[in-house]
Amino acid sequence: MALDYRKCAQEITDVIGGAENIVSAAHCATRLRLVIVDNGKVSKKELENVDGVKGVFESNGQLQIIIGTGAVNKVYDEFLGINHIEAASKDEVKAAAAAKKPIWFRAIKSLGDVFVPILPAIVASGLLMGVVEALGKAIPGFADTGWYAFLDLVSNTAFAYLPVIVAISAARVFGGNLFLGAVTGLAMVHSGLINAWAVGGMAASEIPVWHLLFFNVKAVGYQGHVIPVIIAVWFMSTLEKWLHKHVPEVIDLFVTPLTTVLVTMFLTFTIIGPIFSTAESYILEFAKWVITVGHGIGAAIMGAIYPITVVFGLHHMYNVIEAGMLAEGGLNIWMPIASAANFAQFGACLAVAIKTKSQKNRAVALPSSLSASLGITEPAIFGINLRFMKPFICGMVGAACGAIFGSIMKLGATAYGVTGFPGFLTINNHLKYAILLAIAGGVAFALTMVVWKGDDDQPDDEAKAEKKAAKAAKKAAKKNGGDVAAAVAAPAAAAAAALRDAADMPKVMGTEAGEVGAPTKGKVIPYTEITDETFASGVLGEGVGIVPEEGVVYAPYDGTISSVADTQHAVGITGAGDMELLIHVGVDTVKMNGDGFKAFVKEGDEVKKGQKLIEFDRDKIKDAGYADTVVVLLTNSDDYNEFAPEA
Amino acid sequence: MKEFTYTITDPVGIHARPAGQLVKVAKGFESAATMIAGEKSADMKKPIGLMGLGVKLDDTVTIQVEGPDEDAACAALEEFMKANF
Repeated sequence: MALDYRKCAQEITDVIGGAENIVSAAHCATRLRLVIVDNGKVSKKELENVDGVKGVFESNGQLQIIIGTGAVNKVYDEFLGINHIEAASKDEVKAAAAAKKPIWFRAIKSLGDVFVPILPAIVASGLLMGVVEALGKAIPGFADTGWYAFLDLVSNTAFAYLPVIVAISAARVFGGNLFLGAVTGLAMVHSGLINAWAVGGMAASEIPVWHLLFFNVKAVGYQGHVIPVIIAVWFMSTLEKWLHKHVPEVIDLFVTPLTTVLVTMFLTFTIIGPIFSTAESYILEFAKWVITVGHGIGAAIMGAIYPITVVFGLHHMYNVIEAGMLAEGGLNIWMPIASAANFAQFGACLAVAIKTKSQKNRAVALPSSLSASLGITEPAIFGINLRFMKPFICGMVGAACGAIFGSIMKLGATAYGVTGFPGFLTINNHLKYAILLAIAGGVAFALTMVVWKGDDDQPDDEAKAEKKAAKAAKKAAKKNGGDVAAAVAAPAAAAAAALRDAADMPKVMGTEAGEVGAPTKGKVIPYTEITDETFASGVLGEGVGIVPEEGVVYAPYDGTISSVADTQHAVGITGAGDMELLIHVGVDTVKMNGDGFKAFVKEGDEVKKGQKLIEFDRDKIKDAGYADTVVVLLTNSDDYNEFAPEA
Repeated sequence: MKEFTYTITDPVGIHARPAGQLVKVAKGFESAATMIAGEKSADMKKPIGLMGLGVKLDDTVTIQVEGPDEDAACAALEEFMKANF
């Protein structure tokens, strides 16, 4: 008989003292792991008798209830539902924050998340490839040696099977099974398919075609492709997660992987692959055309957008363009553009390496810029430039400048595959090529040095953006002679953290040292009416409670943050005359473990009256069954002679 | 001066409410009481300072008491800690 998960979860809840007695809940492969407020309320005997519970023990301060594999996660889900607990991990909070960003931003971020972990593979292969090709061209006869063949094989492995590496990384980012992701990637470069690199030299009739339902699928691999792989794995992960949720657990193990792989592969070869690889082909055609437009203008445009195509992995296909140019008997005029673009990213990344104050950023930026100077820009782009955004854009400008010079000077290469410094081996004019690199790298470097303001200057970190905005607001306030209200009129960038108008923060208490403004809007009640004995008793000092009408807490006076609860629901602020104020959102909300709370300050921060301190979700507090009264207590109220709460 | 160490067994650690109760105990004595957690220390008569230590489950803290009634204070604090944290 199948276990009634809901009943099991309900019975467990009942015998451990109800929802109030639970601090947190988690589960592992077989056990439900609970942190309990008062173990005295837990009846182990009854717990062991609950249908579905196979054993109970206490360990590491956790009450561990053995339920068994397969069932434990379902009991856990029910358990969360019954007790209104949310399984919030830091990652989920982060994901929720990211979900608010515009879709293009999320797409770029996902691409970055996919590429960054695979950088070691790309760097190793890319650098080795540059060295091998350079040696092959520099030393006559080297290309015919066994060493060359061996090194060439090693160096191009990561690129030849790039879809596999990308697929595994993407599966991790999108939450799919890593091995199913690997299968998806492997299928796309399966040796039973015609190698995509070889297709160019084949007649259409030589390529096998499969007839699948309404689709005629060319049996060609996806070597060198990236976007179709990422889309396929994203689809796979989504489907897999959906199936896990909806397929009965008894057959889940064989139904879900089978269905996932079959459906994903079918759609990949019939729809996803052809659509996105066609789109990629159009981009290639467009790129080929655009560089011939108007006296270097087209080259400049291509140079500028080149790094963007690197972000999407499209540059792995440019060899096709270059090979085509050489095959037609001309010079490879694509290479100078690519080289300008790559070298500009080098310049921008080097500027970051020099200007950054963070050891961590420098440790990434230095080797990344070195690699970029040799033509492998992914580490620089994903690791540094794109993350800070401004260096990336500076790199685009530098690339455009270099590319226009290269086009006007009619620079071209006699081979393909290498850019940056190794490009000297294949270029038709060394002096002009040196100037091109100097322009591209120099412009990007100089621009980045000027435009990029430092480690805080990045778009993708909310906390830092807030901090910056707060700083801007503070600055604006100073400029206006300390008039806080005027800071509200600070530029839009600062608006997010602009100070609340003092008029909206009526005085709720005062001492001889100063007054305390209302940290949030709402009805002010005497502290003795707060529904918690500790707060109401005055042990923590006297003050007021505010029944909030909004989910934000603002600094009630200028001061220093003396403590922030790990669970982000309470802060302490020290102000003038050593006033030590505790602002505690809700009663018993420590048990929500931070879910629904976000603190915008940390210990030691200087704050101005009206600055945002905490955001909280009133609905979540209500759903969790707690009062959301904002407790405002002057913890050292008895140190003052003239303490007077306004309620 | 008297001191003792204690390892927190309360899953929530020293948070607002328990800190308030602890302060109440500490304030009942004349002696100065200091809690040391890692590299931070706090006056046990100030709840905000105590909360600022961020003491969590399994953390070990040292409590130092110094003053005319340090023996009684130390005993009371130790007893209170054991009962509540």
